[in-house]
Amino acid sequence: MPKVKIPRRSTTVDMTAMCDVAFLLLTFFILTTKFRAKEVVAIDIPSSSAQIPIPDRDILMLQISPDGKVFFGLDDQPTRLKLLDRLASEYKFPLSDKQKDAFRTLEIWGMDINQLPKFLDLSPEQRTTAPQAGLTLDTLGGGHQLEDLILFSRQENNNLRIAIKGDKTTEYKAFAQVIQALQNRKVNRFNIITSARTAKE
Amino acid sequence: MAEMNLSDPGGKSHGRKKKRSKKASTRVDLTAMVDLGFLLITFFILATTFNKPKTMEVNKPAKEDKPEKEPPIKMSKTVNFMMGNNNKVYWYVSPDAIDANTTIELDSVDYSPNGLRKIIKRRQSEVQAQWGDKDLLFVMIKPLPGSKLKNTVDMLDEMNINNVTRYAILEPNDPIDSLIAIRVGQSRK
Repeated sequence: MPKVKIPRRSTTVDMTAMCDVAFLLLTFFILTTKFRAKEVVAIDIPSSSAQIPIPDRDILMLQISPDGKVFFGLDDQPTRLKLLDRLASEYKFPLSDKQKDAFRTLEIWGMDINQLPKFLDLSPEQRTTAPQAGLTLDTLGGGHQLEDLILFSRQENNNLRIAIKGDKTTEYKAFAQVIQALQNRKVNRFNIITSARTAKE
Repeated sequence: MAEMNLSDPGGKSHGRKKKRSKKASTRVDLTAMVDLGFLLITFFILATTFNKPKTMEVNKPAKEDKPEKEPPIKMSKTVNFMMGNNNKVYWYVSPDAIDANTTIELDSVDYSPNGLRKIIKRRQSEVQAQWGDKDLLFVMIKPLPGSKLKNTVDMLDEMNINNVTRYAILEPNDPIDSLIAIRVGQSRK
């Protein structure tokens, strides 16, 4: 009997289509992605049925941690730099270019403004782990630093919208302090950041 | 698909068949590229923030240097919610006039649809019956020191859901409020 010849089939699959799909998805994700901002404290935001999406730019973010510390963040880098220059002149501390560069990439921070230059001198790794005490909210002794920050940022960029991001368990007292500071600077409109949920039926 | 026919230069035809030039396959192994593509996709999926957080807009009345004298609101159009700790809301309606025999009913509810929303709906219908328009209801929200941000957000949300147009967050400064705060053990420190 003659041998039956089984034709050898190639096992290579045509990858072109898969490659196309992969890169299509990749493009989509690259274009739509907005990187998660670094967090100094973990904040679990409350949920609400509000449907207004947060604006993409010009946001002044005030974060309130569960224990009532307040952190400050600006999303716009040019405004950050202008704010730092302003702070340096108002609080009278010298600034090096290295410090400016460090501040430019600092997304969120919270400490007494007078300690800021020292913090900016740290290496980037040290900066992520260094403990931050929160902004100084003390209304005694004249200088209310949060109010200054709000005032200066708004003077440097008057399109800023104020967003407050607080933890579910943040006490109202801490929240009220922030609102008080905002109202003292004649900011009567602000947004509370919440996660979406459907209206409870 | 990813092939091209590269014909030999100077392909002459002779004989009965067209001359088949030797084909050098240009098929490239795309496996590595696909691997890389999916790796990057995975990275971007993980790094991206998918559901963008929403915001709730809050408008506070502007602080005026010389506040205008406004006629006081009839208490029968109002309802008071005091946000306490442990996710409790104490609510009461103060009467229009207070004398020695006045009693105020104080009750506590939670933030669930069966608690707070029911009260708001009930007050709305009471105001509707008495004043002819349920939008006249004025809700006074008074946070006690122990309440959390979540409570405030829930409360404001409830105002939105029930279309309460007139509400205000106030300090619990009323004498009745102080009494209640002491009664529930959350007097202001």
